[in-house]
Amino acid sequence: MSIFCLGVNHKTAPVEIRERLAFAESSIPSHLEEIRGLVEVNEAVVLSTCNRVEIYGASEEPGKALEGLVEYLVNHFEVTRGEVEFYRKEAEEAAHHLFEVASGLDSMVLGETEIFGQIKKAYATAQTSGATSRRMNKLFQQSFSIGKLVRSSTRIQQGSTSVGSAAVDLAEKIFGKLDGCRVMIIGAGEMSRITAQSLRSRGASSIIVSNRSFDKAEELAEELDGKAVRFDDWGSYLDQVDIVISSTGAPHAVVKKEAVARSLDDRRGHPLFLIDIAVPRDIEDEVNELDNVYLYNIDQLTRIANDGVARRERQIEVCRTVIHRFLDEKGIEALAEIPSRHRSDDNATAGETSSGEPIPNS
Amino acid sequence: MDDLYLIISTLIFFAGFVLAVVSLRGGRQGSARLNIGLAIAGLIFQSLFLKERGEMHGRCPITNGAEVLVFISWSVVIIYLALGRAFRLSLLGVFSMPLVFMFQSISIVALLSHDPGPRPPVTLDPWLELHAAMSLLAYGAFGLSGIAGVMYLVQDRQIKSHEPGRLFYSLPPIRYLTDAMMRLLVIGIFLLSIGIVAAFFMKNFPEALHLTVSGAVWVVYAFLLLIHLVKHLTPKQLSLSSMVAFGFALLTLSAL
Repeated sequence: MSIFCLGVNHKTAPVEIRERLAFAESSIPSHLEEIRGLVEVNEAVVLSTCNRVEIYGASEEPGKALEGLVEYLVNHFEVTRGEVEFYRKEAEEAAHHLFEVASGLDSMVLGETEIFGQIKKAYATAQTSGATSRRMNKLFQQSFSIGKLVRSSTRIQQGSTSVGSAAVDLAEKIFGKLDGCRVMIIGAGEMSRITAQSLRSRGASSIIVSNRSFDKAEELAEELDGKAVRFDDWGSYLDQVDIVISSTGAPHAVVKKEAVARSLDDRRGHPLFLIDIAVPRDIEDEVNELDNVYLYNIDQLTRIANDGVARRERQIEVCRTVIHRFLDEKGIEALAEIPSRHRSDDNATAGETSSGEPIPNS
Repeated sequence: MDDLYLIISTLIFFAGFVLAVVSLRGGRQGSARLNIGLAIAGLIFQSLFLKERGEMHGRCPITNGAEVLVFISWSVVIIYLALGRAFRLSLLGVFSMPLVFMFQSISIVALLSHDPGPRPPVTLDPWLELHAAMSLLAYGAFGLSGIAGVMYLVQDRQIKSHEPGRLFYSLPPIRYLTDAMMRLLVIGIFLLSIGIVAAFFMKNFPEALHLTVSGAVWVVYAFLLLIHLVKHLTPKQLSLSSMVAFGFALLTLSAL
């Protein structure tokens, strides 16, 4: 019995193909049942996210199982053999692939954590559907240990990887938790919306939107569950907010040092974080000279994001070393020979770890 | 034996400091458990040193400059262990280790070169003990407030420079540091107030110089707090003031 993996991801297939191959979450249990009904597929886990569709499994004859799976996907999804190239991995290669996916090394945003939760969910679904047994249980259990180890012992998660996440990371280094932070948007552009959404997803509240066209301000305020104010009035709110995102199309500075300095007296020592994503810039550079005021423009945020990406890329080899060291010590458990007395009751032992302990549905 | 306890404790804090520097240079916070474990281990040996010296003198072991420095170091560590996590500042311990290491190193050199030995026996005065203990605990809180100030200035510089380095990821948010500075100042003033009030109940009223110096430290910190509450000092001004005030408090010790 050996393990295998068949799939496509953001590196091997465009979104037009991935979206056709995507498994609807509610249909995964029935698909798992059908997949396990195929010739030579004993166990299966379906991992379907926006960046990848992968099927992990165990089989006495992985070559045949992989061929059967391709046939299944072509028959059940709107793809032809010619337009999609699946990667096929067996035994150790398949296990290593899963360990790298769980560690975020195969993700579009290196080191991101969402994939870890998605793998857990995929495994839990397969486990609940009775589609896993000893091989898959051991493999996925081990991938969770490795994913945690890689993230805790390397810097793969350190540094921002986009302008939005750079702004959020900086805000968290100024304010700590963003719960209750008040945000003001000056200029209702797309970048402002994305940045405000990033801040909101981390707990920022009380979003005020100001725009030359009041209708547009109201529209964005409604979307962000905030409040729209007239463009002439934004200055009077400066002492009431913690973060300002400015992105107007004005050809000159909109937020001046004098105005910010005036608002400081009423801020009672609360810091102010200004994010200028407009070109030409909206906020006078000298504002950053004020105590307790932090100004970042689009170039500075982009540089931080680029540094973050480069920093994470430099960590890839470190992460791989961590994985190799872990496997040198423990080996790939799912590849270990299972005593014959266990083979007959493979299905009956679904939901147990290698030590026979039940696997938590986490 | 007491010297040995002090040396072991100092070496533990030195190890903690080196470990922290290595972690921070690597852009990691280091293991919070290990930092706390080292701080506890160092505290145990500090306490053993103070216990032995206390038994030798038959009173609170602050009879000479070396002992006073160890007592302040002990206060810094105990306040960090008691409040560091509550203030979400586990890294405060890392930054306080160089200060503790420096104070204790001075004490070791002083005691090894000239140990004044046991003081003549006195009748124990609990008010005197309370005065001394509370005053030095207050110095511990003021010391930690100064250290939080240093951390604030480093993090402020990291963010203002637009090129955040490795320390940026390891240091706490500046708002937490500002809050910690304020709370530690309040705790310090509260403890020092108890110490000063206790002095008025002592059997032998303290010397004028002693009381003046304690009062001066209290006035400096109370003034700092008052100015901040009324005029809202910026965190940068508060950090610098807190560091300068602690320098002044240390200078007053030499006058005692």
